[in-house]
Amino acid sequence: MSRNAPDGDDADTSNSRPQSNQGSTPVRTPRKQQKSSQQRLHTFQTPLHADESPTPTPSPSSRRLYPGTGGRTATDPDDSECATPTPAPHRYGLRARRASRGLSNKNNNNNNNNNNNIQTRVRNRNRNNPNCTCSHNTRPPASIMASGGKWREEQILIICPGSRTTMAQLGCGELSPPAHRIPTRMFRDEEEPEQWRPYYTYKRTTVTDGVEREEWVEDVDEDKGAVWPIEGGRIVQMDAFLAFLDHVHGLLTTTYHNTPIMLMASPQWTRPDCETIARYIFEKTKTPALCLIHSGIATQYGLKWPNMTVVDIGYEKVDVTAIHDGRVVNHMDLGRPLPDRFISGGEVFTRKLLQLLEGQGFNHDMAEQLKKSGICEVLPYAPAKKELMDLPVESSPNASQSQPRSTAAPGTTAEEGAAPGSGAVDSTVAAAAEAASQHAPTTDEPAVEEDVAMEDNDGLDTNVDEDGVLDVASIVTSGQTKEFLAKKEKEKEKEKGKPGRKSNKDKDGDAAAQARPLRQPNSKKVRNTFSYEEIVMEEVPKEVPAPVSAPTQGAGGGGVEEVVATEKAAEPAAEKAAEPATEPAAQGTQAEEDSKAPAPAATETEAPVVKTEESKPNGDDNDNENGTESKPAADVANGEQGKAADADTGAKANADADASAKNGEPPELRPKRIRREIEVGLERFLFADRAEIDRIVSTIYRTIQGVEDMYMRPACWDNLVFVGNGSRLRGLKDNILQTLNARHLISPSTATMFTSELPSNVATPAGTGSQTPVGSFSGAPHQLASSGVNPLLQAATTASTLGVAGRDTIQVATGSTPMVGSEAAGPASGHHFHSQTPTSIRTIALPTYLSEWSKNGFEEAMFLGAQVAARIAFCLHSNMDAQAIEAQKSMSLSRVDYNEHGPKAIRTHSMLS
Amino acid sequence: MWARISHHLRTDSLGALLRASQPIGRQPLRIANMAQQPLPSSAQPTDIYGGDEVSALVLDPGYCNTRAGYAGEDVPKSILPSFYGHITSDPPRDLFGDECIIPRGDFEVRNYMNKDSVVEDWDVAAKLWEFMLVKRLQPERQTHPSKNGLNDDIKEQDGEGDVAMEEVEGLEKPLEEFPLLMSEAPWNSPKAREKAIELSMESWGTPAFWLSRTPVLASFAAGKATALVIDVGGANTSVTAIHDGMVLKRSIQRSPAGGLWLSSQIRKMWETSEPKVDLVPTFMVENKTPVDALAPPQARLREFPFKIHDSFRAFEEERVLTEFKESVVEVWRGPGRYGAAGNEEYIKSQPGRVFEMPDGYNQMWREQRFKVAEGMWDENAGYPVPEDERLNKAQTIPELIRSALNSVDVDLRGTLLGNVVVTGSTSLINGFNDRLNNELTAMYPGLKIKIHAAGLSSERRFGAWIGGSILASLGTFHQMWISKKEYEENGAGIVEKRCK
Repeated sequence: MSRNAPDGDDADTSNSRPQSNQGSTPVRTPRKQQKSSQQRLHTFQTPLHADESPTPTPSPSSRRLYPGTGGRTATDPDDSECATPTPAPHRYGLRARRASRGLSNKNNNNNNNNNNNIQTRVRNRNRNNPNCTCSHNTRPPASIMASGGKWREEQILIICPGSRTTMAQLGCGELSPPAHRIPTRMFRDEEEPEQWRPYYTYKRTTVTDGVEREEWVEDVDEDKGAVWPIEGGRIVQMDAFLAFLDHVHGLLTTTYHNTPIMLMASPQWTRPDCETIARYIFEKTKTPALCLIHSGIATQYGLKWPNMTVVDIGYEKVDVTAIHDGRVVNHMDLGRPLPDRFISGGEVFTRKLLQLLEGQGFNHDMAEQLKKSGICEVLPYAPAKKELMDLPVESSPNASQSQPRSTAAPGTTAEEGAAPGSGAVDSTVAAAAEAASQHAPTTDEPAVEEDVAMEDNDGLDTNVDEDGVLDVASIVTSGQTKEFLAKKEKEKEKEKGKPGRKSNKDKDGDAAAQARPLRQPNSKKVRNTFSYEEIVMEEVPKEVPAPVSAPTQGAGGGGVEEVVATEKAAEPAAEKAAEPATEPAAQGTQAEEDSKAPAPAATETEAPVVKTEESKPNGDDNDNENGTESKPAADVANGEQGKAADADTGAKANADADASAKNGEPPELRPKRIRREIEVGLERFLFADRAEIDRIVSTIYRTIQGVEDMYMRPACWDNLVFVGNGSRLRGLKDNILQTLNARHLISPSTATMFTSELPSNVATPAGTGSQTPVGSFSGAPHQLASSGVNPLLQAATTASTLGVAGRDTIQVATGSTPMVGSEAAGPASGHHFHSQTPTSIRTIALPTYLSEWSKNGFEEAMFLGAQVAARIAFCLHSNMDAQAIEAQKSMSLSRVDYNEHGPKAIRTHSMLS
Repeated sequence: MWARISHHLRTDSLGALLRASQPIGRQPLRIANMAQQPLPSSAQPTDIYGGDEVSALVLDPGYCNTRAGYAGEDVPKSILPSFYGHITSDPPRDLFGDECIIPRGDFEVRNYMNKDSVVEDWDVAAKLWEFMLVKRLQPERQTHPSKNGLNDDIKEQDGEGDVAMEEVEGLEKPLEEFPLLMSEAPWNSPKAREKAIELSMESWGTPAFWLSRTPVLASFAAGKATALVIDVGGANTSVTAIHDGMVLKRSIQRSPAGGLWLSSQIRKMWETSEPKVDLVPTFMVENKTPVDALAPPQARLREFPFKIHDSFRAFEEERVLTEFKESVVEVWRGPGRYGAAGNEEYIKSQPGRVFEMPDGYNQMWREQRFKVAEGMWDENAGYPVPEDERLNKAQTIPELIRSALNSVDVDLRGTLLGNVVVTGSTSLINGFNDRLNNELTAMYPGLKIKIHAAGLSSERRFGAWIGGSILASLGTFHQMWISKKEYEENGAGIVEKRCK
């Protein structure tokens, strides 16, 4: 597994997409050149493949489609955006970028049918016009235009664009999580600024067979110069956005004429925006029908409650949409790009984290990874505390040294920033390690489970490549690779059988309980470590062109691969044996170290307590080597500091250096993945910016309280849902909910209980329970729910009997809290609702019958809803009466209607409000 | 002379126009007593008016809120408080929108409208309106990509608010494709009207413009060309007779008996209540603990490292007062007035309503919740307030109606009373319509009184905007617009001639 990957990809892709001929078409570039360029760019991907395979990907076919999926974890700051790349069971979309990359392979194949070089291609302007629109020149004539809204589920293209990532999929038959996550970005063509390219493209000169050639190379990962057409939900670059839509379409399908499009619209899209999009789609493409759906409505279709308040926490924006009976009744948002923009959403937390940790050498990428890791969490709202959260305090007597630090986080920052990588850090590590081991035996069972749940399921989850602090290198080098992998595989098999987080959690909890010593939950630890992965460009020898690719395979991909243990890891491990001598030597020493290391590393299945303090996160290989050298002291002191990862990389650097020396060729830059353990203190809790949470809380409050018809408000309060990948931040939803409850909840008042003149025999409200202030009480406390309540009691406790019966606004206070979907809520009966709200604040129950979504998390429920809506709008043909047909017709805009009414028809033929 | 005649023709046609046309869109109109029944929405052909092609914008500024949106839609897309944030530190800036009105230092809340619902600060008005009409309702402008990037930042630094204007001058103007219909208070000054058309034509480049008075629009929203419009708004209550789409100028009556006045009554009530009720606005409360009724609140208050300006606090207090009005305050429906013998005793025997303050303090309100609103009807009732805030007899709602009707032709009174349109958010107070009906019946026995008040709160709150939305989306309204050409030929004065 390695450099061949691209070829493998090709094969896979072409399997699944027989119409694309990329696998077999002759190359425009000379073979060798192509190879090297492939390799160069694919080195990014090769190690990543290894990761990918064991992931419980939704469907085998989709995995096949995305060979590159599962790569370098989360180098992207995208995650928190609404349509964030999120692989199935992850809390954050750690491998998202990869997914899109894998996708992009395919795109290239697709867009450039004549040119099979995947990553690199010589640009032929005539054929491969940079504007990806043109790639559709070859589509079949659209003579067969579907009419009358009859399409099959697999024909429908679903696109949910977000500011960072767009979720897309062809077909809505499976109701699966999005098959594709594509960065929402385009690049201006350097030569024709009016044109857009889907990837970063640069020119380079290569020498092949003595001939110097210029070629254009696409780097599918590069963000440089990217234009992000959507900002905070608003389309800021319409032409780029349209080109992007076209690009997405091109990735997923080749024809337009029978592919209706379901496009999710952010609430910020203006009416002219929607019309422009409609116009483009109908005039520039042969799309038969288009449905625009409001993202809040889409969420509602996904979760199927008639009344909801959708809180969509995205990358740089928060949308709060109150929906009553399927209609948007109020909407507010944060983070609109305005002259003065105050962003809101996931990125705010990343920035805050960065701000806190900058002194420790963190960069944005590290902050992002830390945020996504299991150890970063928003602690529960503690109403009485000064910081409004229960920060853990150092409890180990041995750790008195770090006591002051832990209570004052900024202090920590300063100290660590001042003494990078030297003794001070080591002692910190030692202290922390000691503290950890001290705590371990004292912790009880539930704590462990919680811990496991948090570390392994929520944030990092059980995928091999995300095993968080799993120190693969040490396992590999300790010679237990096979056993370990077998075990992991078994676990995974079991997990696959059991969908849903809960079961995973339980199972893992059990397994872990047996396998590892007991530990504290993350929220009780002053310090904790997370595993940071980055890709650095390292110099490697340029390959000697060899007739057989096998040797190069080892040299090319192996180095990085070993760090990444997957099912394929056995292979590189085997290959390693053949590698230059320095490496085994290094491994040998590590193995010794490892074997010396006591219990934790060996026994813990997933997260050995390996603390590695990296003072310089961006450290290159030299740093790593230095680190290795300086560590033994620490190792001795701690007795359990397996420095395997660093040592390993260091060793490999040596090996590579040697090799390059041998070859005597100019070294080539090659990406390499490095994983390091970084310890973080209380910053990982303190980043939970109260100001930001307060903003979200008050926006929710104002949105619902701003719903004009009061009777709708209780239903909206009782059906909150948090979506958007920004809400995956651990603890955030709970904290928001707790804050709402602590700040805004209207409690049942004692005034109604004791001041009304009740007959003594009905005085005790226990019979109905409706007036008892218990936790689950949900009615209007001052006006009582009518159902089942003694009418006398009700009359006595409400101001309903003023002798004006018969008027059209009898104010029988409320009747009842409008129940989900009930008609009683409406003003139809002449009853007006005048209760103060909220008397209860609850989130909705998420559907449980969609196991893939349970695994994926309903943060992307809008995509699910878009699929459901697409089915209804496009695929429902039978058992409909005239009214239903009419309603269906107004859900989407067909070409016939477009031809008749023009773009403005999208105003009435859509699901925008 | 000709202009005069044509103007008459035109204005006459406004009413005729409404009669001839149906409101379009998905407007859920509840038209009660109209000569023509609306088509069922499913049968409405979208382009019967041909006017659907016009993407007109409708702007309805009020004291509390400013509403803007596309004609033909049933609610304004963009609703912003007319209050805006002003950063006093250097550089001074204005911030628009609820999102920006948050506690911060060096920050004041101001309003560009005055309590007469007339624009006071035209500079800010222009900025706020442009913000709503352009930034919120129009797509990002693509014409000059170079301006999208760094240039914006530079401008922001030096430019405080004229940014938009400068940009506009350089580029094509932002609303060149959108006719604009604006609403105004019936007592708006000619100067302000000219200012509005100038702004629209010069700064935004609108191809057509129309200025319409809020009561006219509100009556349109109710589907009536002739009506007695009672608009109980935030800062004002006005009573206006509309005949065939025209305001009968002499009938215009107004008084401050609106939302603000009611707020001051509630404040007074809280102050004089025993125990005194402390108004702690929501933004100051970090969290609260439930307490017994009348017990002192137990809330943790938020601390700010800066001084909160009084104007901000007042703005936030108003939110609490609004909630109180929504859920507690009620108009005594009758029989008779609140002060009539026995009524108060009767109410006292009835259970009241509990209100929980943001800090958790809660209390049941019985007769007081009627008393606060009674002052709108009876100058002798209500809570005592300083002399200058007190309503005199002529300012109560029944008297406003009486004088409005007295100023119109006797023949018209019956028609008007058969078409009473109630609009404005303060009219949403519980019991308002019942009381109004009682008062009118008592004042005009023997005349048929028919009150039209929209059932949906949004239709009541945005009555004038909705009317504008209907009017501007009528294809036949095309001929009414003041076109850019007319403006260029006649100057700003044209608005006085045309928009009567």
